[in-house]
Amino acid sequence: MWPRVVEVMLGCWLGMSPFIFRHNSYQRELWWNDLGCAFAVVTLSLLSFWRCCRAAHFGLCAVAIWLVAFGYAEAPVPAPPALQNDILVGMLLLMFAIIPNEANLPPRSWSDLRS
Amino acid sequence: MKTTELSLNLEIAAPPWNYNPSAWRQRLPVCLFAAAAFLIASYMALYQWRLIDNVWDPIFGEQTRSVLDSQVSARMQRWFHVPDAALGAIAYLGDLIFGLAGSTRRWQYRPWLVVLFGLDVIPLGIVSAVLVVLQGTMVGSWCFLCLVTAAISLLLILFAYDEVWSSLLYLYRVWLRTRNLRVLWDTFWGRASQVGDEVALAGTVRY
Repeated sequence: MWPRVVEVMLGCWLGMSPFIFRHNSYQRELWWNDLGCAFAVVTLSLLSFWRCCRAAHFGLCAVAIWLVAFGYAEAPVPAPPALQNDILVGMLLLMFAIIPNEANLPPRSWSDLRS
Repeated sequence: MKTTELSLNLEIAAPPWNYNPSAWRQRLPVCLFAAAAFLIASYMALYQWRLIDNVWDPIFGEQTRSVLDSQVSARMQRWFHVPDAALGAIAYLGDLIFGLAGSTRRWQYRPWLVVLFGLDVIPLGIVSAVLVVLQGTMVGSWCFLCLVTAAISLLLILFAYDEVWSSLLYLYRVWLRTRNLRVLWDTFWGRASQVGDEVALAGTVRY
């Protein structure tokens, strides 16, 4: 489950980012975006630990693509650090989100076939 | 009987080799070198973000800074909104993640992962090495750490190509055997099938 653990950490980082990158109080969409995405990331990666929702981590791909797209759409040139952070965290999440839960064991269908 | 025994074993040789290219002994060097390149690229990204004031270069001295602050680099940052070194760091981290994931028989059990790993290591590695050479010729300055990462990129290709080749050969053999796109698709995504196991075990060497 190591990809899910890293995703939870990335979610926590995203939740701290508004305070680290100091969004102004009038930049409402930045606050909502970072905190909302952080909540979604942590929820989806933790849900994957639960047997019935083990595919929940694929939902992170959507969050990741949203983060990258939001960063690109909102950013002026040069992009402010907060939006660069969104783009990079989105890319990182996309790489982790596609890794299966029990990544270092053979897929279940192969174990079933052999047993 | 022998087939059953073999199919329980994760450590089998993958054709056309007489060793297992997905074994940790084969994959760990990739992960270590990718981690080193990730750290170096992140260090250069820190300079491009101006989080550090200077960048270390024992051979070309100031030239590294003129590479990292070049027009080409600035244009890349305008396009991608993030410094090019940060993108490089993400790509090397990808090599590391895709190198770590998967069992020691992933060439058969998760071809999609090996192909993705191969796409990250081989075409991206060649592109990054070419970009570094272009820096030298177009910007007219050289950057020691960029050259180190380019060398690592090429080294990674050398370490990784055998596994990617095994996976592609396995998929090709499944296609030759079945001529069925559906089976090929399922095999690519790692869904188990008897025919997949038969193809994979045909011609493997046990060790």
